[in-house]
Amino acid sequence: MRLSMYLAGVGGQGLITFATVLGDAALRAGYKALIAETHGLSQRGGSVDVHVRIGDVDAPLIPRNGADVIVAFEILEALRAVNYANENTTFIVNRRLIRPPATKQRIPSIEELENMLRSSIKNVYFINAYEDAVKLGNVIYENMVMLGALYSIMNLSQYIPQDIIEEAIKMNIRRDVDRNIKAFMLGLRYGNTT
Amino acid sequence: MNNCIIKLMLGNHAIAHGALEAGVAVAAGYPGTPSSEIMEYLIDYGKEFGVYAEWSSNEKVAFEVAYGAALAGSRAIVTMKHVGLNVAMDPLMSSAYTGVKGGFAIVTADDPNMWSSQNEQDNRWVGIHAYIPVFEPYDPQSAKDFTKNAIEFSEAHSHPVLLRSVTRVSHVRGPVTVCSPATPRYAEGYVKDPRRHALIPANARTLKNELLKRWSTIEKDVDQLPHNYIEGDRNLIITSGVAFTYALEAVKNYGVKASVLNVATPVPLPRKTILNAVSRADRVVVIEEGDPVVEQQLKALLYEEGIRVPILGKAENLFNRVGELTMNSVMDGLSKALDINNPLLSNHPIKVDYAPPPRPPVFCPGCPHTASFYELKISTAKAGVKPIFSGDIGCYSLGINNPFNEQDTLTDMGSSLGLGMGIYHGTRGKEVIVSIIGDSTFFHAGLPALVNAIYNKTPMLIMVLDNRVTAMTGGQPNPTNKIDIGEVAKSLGADYVSTVDPFEVKKAQEVISEALNVVRKGGVAVVVMKRGCALEATRLFRNYVTRYYVDENACKACGICYNLIACPALIPLESRKAWIDPYMCVGCSVCAQVCPYNAIKPEGDVKNWLSAWARM
Repeated sequence: MRLSMYLAGVGGQGLITFATVLGDAALRAGYKALIAETHGLSQRGGSVDVHVRIGDVDAPLIPRNGADVIVAFEILEALRAVNYANENTTFIVNRRLIRPPATKQRIPSIEELENMLRSSIKNVYFINAYEDAVKLGNVIYENMVMLGALYSIMNLSQYIPQDIIEEAIKMNIRRDVDRNIKAFMLGLRYGNTT
Repeated sequence: MNNCIIKLMLGNHAIAHGALEAGVAVAAGYPGTPSSEIMEYLIDYGKEFGVYAEWSSNEKVAFEVAYGAALAGSRAIVTMKHVGLNVAMDPLMSSAYTGVKGGFAIVTADDPNMWSSQNEQDNRWVGIHAYIPVFEPYDPQSAKDFTKNAIEFSEAHSHPVLLRSVTRVSHVRGPVTVCSPATPRYAEGYVKDPRRHALIPANARTLKNELLKRWSTIEKDVDQLPHNYIEGDRNLIITSGVAFTYALEAVKNYGVKASVLNVATPVPLPRKTILNAVSRADRVVVIEEGDPVVEQQLKALLYEEGIRVPILGKAENLFNRVGELTMNSVMDGLSKALDINNPLLSNHPIKVDYAPPPRPPVFCPGCPHTASFYELKISTAKAGVKPIFSGDIGCYSLGINNPFNEQDTLTDMGSSLGLGMGIYHGTRGKEVIVSIIGDSTFFHAGLPALVNAIYNKTPMLIMVLDNRVTAMTGGQPNPTNKIDIGEVAKSLGADYVSTVDPFEVKKAQEVISEALNVVRKGGVAVVVMKRGCALEATRLFRNYVTRYYVDENACKACGICYNLIACPALIPLESRKAWIDPYMCVGCSVCAQVCPYNAIKPEGDVKNWLSAWARM
């Protein structure tokens, strides 16, 4: 088994926590996991990406056009991530637009961006992670909603049982464990309805 | 003792844990991406096992702290980023001459692709330059193992060792077998040995000969280390470091037929191991991240042995010297070298007819640097001066961007003062110099430069952005928490010293204006802009945080707040009126002070919040 998952978002959206929970859960379920992150100057509100690879893997980075799934925490970053996609790649995209600062350019609306993605990508799922997280009381739960969505859409339960994910959330996110698990549960429904 | 478990671990934490398992007693470092998490781990977890671990004021001092401990016979480690090693070069060169008694690992975390650095120097060259062996891990597990091996090798040869990591080892998480730390090995006492430890020329001459003797032993003994060899075809791929992982995938997944030899020590090369592998090969491809360090040594080695076999690598431009290796760059090079198809090219790309605008890193919401740059800009404009903004290394490097444009030069730690002085004298004093430097950078390399400015009477404004932590690398503590920068400047005899809170927008502008007057009269002025990092403040005092909102009726859509402050929480609406994202705003109050229409209002107890924040 080999799964290459490319995460794209904006610094501060919790991509590293997402990846750590997923990687730790995979390891607990008996799979090798490699996570390549960017730290330092590159995280200050700028575009960030994280490569998550699970199974029979050695190299930390996903090849160009080589991702099995792209998880975009922000919709413009989904468009930036297409370099890692091929025609079979599944896109899981948060319906959230974070305006890049200091640009005079007109930014298309979420609906326009959604249509662009739908017209060029075969397997694309849109997730209201921002809305779900705000309902739980804070936008910081967005990442666990996205994790739930990934887990159900990609049928990860065939590799990682759900209780192991919950265990990994408990071990890696110390604050507000219950609401983080709730956020993960909320995310699960996206695999059933779409 | 042998309580081992497999854990998902960051490469840097694995290095730190390897040091603990090797019984390191003294650890010192200076933060710098991608190295910082090594010392954080040693400080957080090492202390409970009795390890002495410290953040030092710069890499040279850190090096000497660890080196001194190793001279005494303690096991020691020093950590830094690649450019930090330049600062530590003086003691590093000497350490090869004196040798060490306790195992001593020098960790350099290189940053190919310059994710967070000013250059991408390959510090494996330093090993050749200084006669110090270099260990190069390729993933988190080998990071732990090689650190342990390196420290043991160092002690066995009474010689320092370098451990070279890169971003894609240091900042990769992977499974690591973690065992219990060993009891720290401190020295019993310091046995005086000036003939060896005091490098007066007469001693150093003798020691150079001893060094060369040790080096020839080391050259032989690196063959005993665990290098990886995977038998395959008569094509031989030789790798070092992270390149090994790409070569493994090339062989396993992409149909490349080759044997693979990964050397644990790119300097010096394990001669017998290499000759053995080369004797079974018709051609050799060398893959490594950075410069052709292995490739060039390999050519020399095979020439000495009279072996003529094609060696393909960076000399033929098959692999990139700039940036990181990727699966694609490795497969491109291998397919050309071995004349095979590259299966990665058969992946069908996706086309989307829209390229989103770039999203570069920006100052965080509530970052005090934003206020400082704004105030500096307004004050210099009011004074009618167009200064040279001599910048430095830190989050404030982002002041290079719109709307600030206040980083004209920026080359190395502390350069804001030195380059500023040079520009002043090189233009016969025509330019007004404003040096902008952070608190940690000030103590790191700014201090001797401030002494120089005062001693040599070079008029300049030195603006110290004191946000109470080494913010860019994750908020490490530094000497500013105990030593007042303003008091330091006063005691050195600066002509004007003032400490001001950049969140007091008017007052800060007045102070900068006063300081500029002093500079115009030929004085050295130091202004300390003191206000804690917003990321740290919201973490420390989360219950106090207040937010601001825009009163839609009062806002006149002038754009002053979002155009001049450029806080990411300030968002221009279609109507050009401002909107504050409640999930981003941290209530610094600066935009409210700048708004000419009083349209930005607090939601809670601002005074209480800002005074809690000021406790940092």
